[in-house]
Amino acid sequence: MTFVDKSIKKIAEIIKSSYVYWETSEKNGLFQKLDPRLKVIFMIYFIVIISLLRNVYIELAMAVFIFALIVLSRLNIFYMYKRILTFTFFFGFLIALPSAFNVITRGEIVLPVATLSRSYHFWIYSVPKEIGITREGAFGVAMLSLRVADSIGLSLLIIHTTPFFEIIRGLKVIRVPDTFLMIIILSYKYIFILVRTVEDMYLAMKSRLVGAVDAGTIRELIAGRIFFIFKKSQMRYEETYRAMVGRGFSGDIALYNFRAFTAADAAAALVLGAFGILFLVVQMCI
Amino acid sequence: MKIIQLEHVSYSFYDIVPALSDVSLSIEEGGMVAVIGANGSGKSTLLQIMSALIHPQAGRVFFRGEEVTEKRLHDREFQRFFRERVGMVFQNSDVQLFCPTVFDELIFGPMQLGISEEQALRRAAETMELLNIEYLKERPTHMLSGGEKKRVAIGSSLTMNPEVLLLDEPASGLDPKTESFLTDLVISLSESGKTIVIATHDLELVDHLQPKVAVLSEEHRIEKIGTVGEILRDRDLLVKVNLIHEHKHRHGKKAHTHQHSHYFFHDHAVSGEHDGTHKRSRDKRDKQHEH
Repeated sequence: MTFVDKSIKKIAEIIKSSYVYWETSEKNGLFQKLDPRLKVIFMIYFIVIISLLRNVYIELAMAVFIFALIVLSRLNIFYMYKRILTFTFFFGFLIALPSAFNVITRGEIVLPVATLSRSYHFWIYSVPKEIGITREGAFGVAMLSLRVADSIGLSLLIIHTTPFFEIIRGLKVIRVPDTFLMIIILSYKYIFILVRTVEDMYLAMKSRLVGAVDAGTIRELIAGRIFFIFKKSQMRYEETYRAMVGRGFSGDIALYNFRAFTAADAAAALVLGAFGILFLVVQMCI
Repeated sequence: MKIIQLEHVSYSFYDIVPALSDVSLSIEEGGMVAVIGANGSGKSTLLQIMSALIHPQAGRVFFRGEEVTEKRLHDREFQRFFRERVGMVFQNSDVQLFCPTVFDELIFGPMQLGISEEQALRRAAETMELLNIEYLKERPTHMLSGGEKKRVAIGSSLTMNPEVLLLDEPASGLDPKTESFLTDLVISLSESGKTIVIATHDLELVDHLQPKVAVLSEEHRIEKIGTVGEILRDRDLLVKVNLIHEHKHRHGKKAHTHQHSHYFFHDHAVSGEHDGTHKRSRDKRDKQHEH
């Protein structure tokens, strides 16, 4: 499979997954019922708490808490944790792994890895004779990995229980202007529309290419298509602007407001707020 | 009373590519007008000029006797007066659907016009009921089928409750069921007193709606204005403006070539009578075309 083939396949997958997000956000679970504004505040509040925690066990308790929320929101646990663990492995564990060794983090070696003939010193660096994973280093890696896992888990929980546009509109609560929100919404929508055009264009091109075509010709064809997409985007923006003007747009956008907070939203806000404080209090007591 | 009037309007893209040349046209209040012409004859440009989304380089446009210019539209009061009375449905629904969900799309126009939230919500609910799109309310607009997009695009204009509805190629790319729903809808809207202007090259749609017809030539001029019967019986005119053509097709096992409009003349088109048995049938049409 060529690079272009793979890219097109990935693009199609992105569209498919956006449909999955939309479908799961329609499910009748705990988080799906909550007001998007509350979810945006909850996400910011808990990400701050996650980064304030200093104890690995409390961070682990936070992971259990997020797992419980995912279960209560009736999301596909296998699908969610496949993503959470993949991201955590690459962006948490692998990045932090070198710091587990006594070359970077000094401390008590709990897992010796190699023994050199002597220790080495160079400028501000030093390599000890015995190399291994230290207790402090292991805790550091565990802490960072858990923080990444918790933050990603939390973000995926929100993404999968709230339609994308509702998340964007939820930003109204932190006073983001409507016009700015509309720009994000339009960009997101047109990525999808243009992605479809790119996919169709590529398939049309592929259907007319027979046998081996040299790389230079392919590059030329793709460059031409990129220009075409650029022009098409420009034309679409002009037409969309006209369509907006035709429906009364005159420079300022007014987006429809949210419904009022319900009693259930208020109760959920209290419970989630209390949980956040509980994590911090336990952290201070230890 | 004339609701829209165009006087000697000319327009060209980038001052090089002509789109309209000395076009004069009047639209009566409550009337239905179809602007027909081949691809590239300037139908869409004409509709966009009528809705003051683009402005002619020569000639004048009037709405209810008031001249509509770019400068006048900078006046918020006049802009509101004009925009809430003239609605446009674009040929490409993707262009028109820029809001997050179907519901947001329907409520966008009323919100921009500053209509009360209660009234805007009522209009959105009524429009969804009229167009049978209640089940799409929360759906993102990029996840709709072609027919659904068209309904929502029409709905997004209807929630503004315009006096004039400009429809650019409304039936293009629609399946037969959606197309017939659209025909019924346009007739109902016309009967409720709305002024309808349609740009199309679908002669069958024109036959079904029986509007006043203005023919645009490939030279971007108004070639003729008349009733459906007068226009569709004028073979020379239709050939000249490239709306009927010669092509090969089959009758059973035999294939032959002749002029063909993909349109058959209903009795009412010829005699002015309507027997109430209006039905679209490809078989019937193929049997009745003129040899």
